[in-house]
Amino acid sequence: MMMNGSIKYVDGKEMIGEGVGFERIRRITGYLVGTLDRFNDAKRAEVNERVKHTVSREVQL
Amino acid sequence: MIQTIVKRDGRCVLFDIEKIANAIFKAAQALGGNDYETARELAEQVVAEMERQGNENPSVEQIQDTVERILINTGHARTAKEYILYRAQRTRVRDMNTRLMKTYEDLTYKSALENDVKRENANIDGDTAMGTMLKYGSEGAKQFYHMFVLNPAHSKAHLEGDIHIHDLDFLTLTTTCCQIDIEKLFKGGFCTGHGFLREPNDIQSYAALACIAIQSNQNDQHGGQSIPNFDYGMAHGVAKTYRKNYIRNISKGLTLFADLEDGDQAAKELNARVEQESGLKPVMADDNGYRDRELPELCKLVDEQTALKIQKFAVKEALKETKRGTYQAMEALVHNLNTMHSRAGAQIPFSSINYGTDTSPEGRLVMESIMKATDAGLGNGETAIFPIQIFKVKEGVSFNPGDPNYDLFKLACRVSAKRLFPNFSFLDAPFNLQYYRPGRPETEIAYMGCRTRVIGNNYDPSHEIVNGRGNLSFTSINLPRIAIRSKGDVDFFFEELDRKMDLVFDQLMERYQIQAKKRVRNFPFLMGQGIWLDSDNLGPDDEVGEVLKHGTLSVGFIGLAETLKALIGEHHGESEYAQNLGLEIIGHMRKRVDEQGKKTGMNFSLVATPAEGLSGRFVRIDRKLFGVMEGITDHEFYTNSFHIPVYFNISASEKIRLEAPYHALTNGGHISYIELDGDPLKNLDAFEQVVRYMKECGIGYGSINHPVDRDPVCGYTGIIDEVCPRCGRREGEAVSVDKLRELGVWHENAGNCGYCGDIHEEAARIPNPVD
Repeated sequence: MMMNGSIKYVDGKEMIGEGVGFERIRRITGYLVGTLDRFNDAKRAEVNERVKHTVSREVQL
Repeated sequence: MIQTIVKRDGRCVLFDIEKIANAIFKAAQALGGNDYETARELAEQVVAEMERQGNENPSVEQIQDTVERILINTGHARTAKEYILYRAQRTRVRDMNTRLMKTYEDLTYKSALENDVKRENANIDGDTAMGTMLKYGSEGAKQFYHMFVLNPAHSKAHLEGDIHIHDLDFLTLTTTCCQIDIEKLFKGGFCTGHGFLREPNDIQSYAALACIAIQSNQNDQHGGQSIPNFDYGMAHGVAKTYRKNYIRNISKGLTLFADLEDGDQAAKELNARVEQESGLKPVMADDNGYRDRELPELCKLVDEQTALKIQKFAVKEALKETKRGTYQAMEALVHNLNTMHSRAGAQIPFSSINYGTDTSPEGRLVMESIMKATDAGLGNGETAIFPIQIFKVKEGVSFNPGDPNYDLFKLACRVSAKRLFPNFSFLDAPFNLQYYRPGRPETEIAYMGCRTRVIGNNYDPSHEIVNGRGNLSFTSINLPRIAIRSKGDVDFFFEELDRKMDLVFDQLMERYQIQAKKRVRNFPFLMGQGIWLDSDNLGPDDEVGEVLKHGTLSVGFIGLAETLKALIGEHHGESEYAQNLGLEIIGHMRKRVDEQGKKTGMNFSLVATPAEGLSGRFVRIDRKLFGVMEGITDHEFYTNSFHIPVYFNISASEKIRLEAPYHALTNGGHISYIELDGDPLKNLDAFEQVVRYMKECGIGYGSINHPVDRDPVCGYTGIIDEVCPRCGRREGEAVSVDKLRELGVWHENAGNCGYCGDIHEEAARIPNPVD
């Protein structure tokens, strides 16, 4: 997995995390595959275009 | 006078007329000709013709053109045709070799970031040595099959994008996947090929061996591995663990109160006597009267009051230890399945586990533990990506308040709302319920995590079960292309669809014929250890063709939405008319598949193709052929199977209602997703309502998507837009260590790895001390 980078001193303050991205886990075709950066181009595009589905009252059971 | 010629690679070599004569002679020979002299004369005419044109240093291509012309002009039309065919074939081979080398070059010098081929399947790390090695093999194998193994019609259809033969690199090697009956496997122990493993004796070994079984089988097949009866299988391990813990705690009590030299020995002997005489064992439910039978034996060593006290202590302690042991075992299983490797180290085994219906205390503990371990996450709180977990929803068992496993259903919703797993399978959907026989877990539908479904059985209707079976291979049809070519003519669409289906039926059967010739020794675990149904009756040199008939041959499809758009201008989310046509199309495919099954006795099935690598392939080719067409080829991907397009605005209930009928038609597998907004943990009711609605509408297998982001620096897991809600940093930015200290997420001993588990989350975990 991703390393968190090493401590760097900025103005005498210990800083960490430079260059470290966020991990984004998404479902791909029924399974998870770890972070988005491992998706192929088409699947990445698909994830980007996904819209949310509203849960309306009618779902109430 | 021609002295030299220019070869294709630009080199200049000495001219040899015999080479031309030989090529002509070979073409004539293929037609039964046997006259070298004529070939030689024709070759001389070729040379004369070239010299007449003043070409003193011709290229190979120019010579070949002249040979063709001379052959035709001199009345050797059939030889000319043969020569042209031979030439085309050589060109094809040369092109393929060049293409393969280009592919190899990209694999070698480009990182996965730049090279889409390396990211075809996200769970293979294409940047590692073994991952790249696997890709070399895979790409080379594909070229070989296209050139020498596949029926040219099938190869052409695949290359041109009419159909997609999945896992083509494994064409001659193995089959897709298997549902491992873990109960049967463990009975009496098994062999992984390098030594025998005895029948496990406690839950920790059960869990460890389950991982090994998945790993071993994964190496015998090209798809994933699923355990359909995880709760039932693991429950045996819990029962054994409880019994051992109970006896050990009796021993502690005896050591303390009876002043025995060897309490262990006494407790073991006492237990053996009681078990032998009563046929009862200490069980977690503590409801079988074992203790009543044990009491008089204990009273021989201590007074009755003390005996009762020892029993009470043993029950309490055994339960506590069993719970802890089971949690640890499940935690280890999740960790193992996310770290262990298969396939030359390139891939984490693709594992799925199904559970939900075992109502025994042991089975329930297994489920509670695996879900809590999943909830807790991996070492630094990361979301586990394997095993894919599928919770079986069944009325009267795990669905309604009052059902024995309703609490576990609630837990499943909560864990899924945080970790995306479990997914939910619905045993009451009519097409699943038809196989269900109470008390026979092998008749409960199970899904491969990706969505594959295997239960019906044309070949052997007495075995309509999930255990020991799986998919053999599958091939998908490019539905949108047929629709585009139909230009609105629906009748033509169905005719062309039939032709494509016939092609795929043939191709699947030809692939099966190759698979059928394999022998048990080619699958040391899958067949050698009797995992596959009926393979336990075969010897190492027996062919597997007959038992493989328990598996499915699946026809898949992609892009129903784009298909409808091309045919009538609307997809099934946009009008009821489109929905009806969609159901007609998929219904027709199912009918054809069923007929083919009846005709051949093979398990042909219709699958809503998962399409990871395929999602972009067809549309890329089709855009080249037909240009950008709105709602059809204007995205980077074709919409998955029968799904409503991901970019279409629709309510959750409407999406579920529209997609559910396709689940009934796709007997080879299906899944529907709902994308929830916000953090579903904050709205668990909505989450559960969606699952309940799926069940009511007849969905077979479904799951709910929501973003799971994580900041590896401070360890926050949840939704992260631009800024991490915990530490306030943006992607790529640094954050001060003081800030992390303040938040209580900085571990001084972590050196420069920073975050090492959330202290607050740690505290909430089930304690995990080492004894």
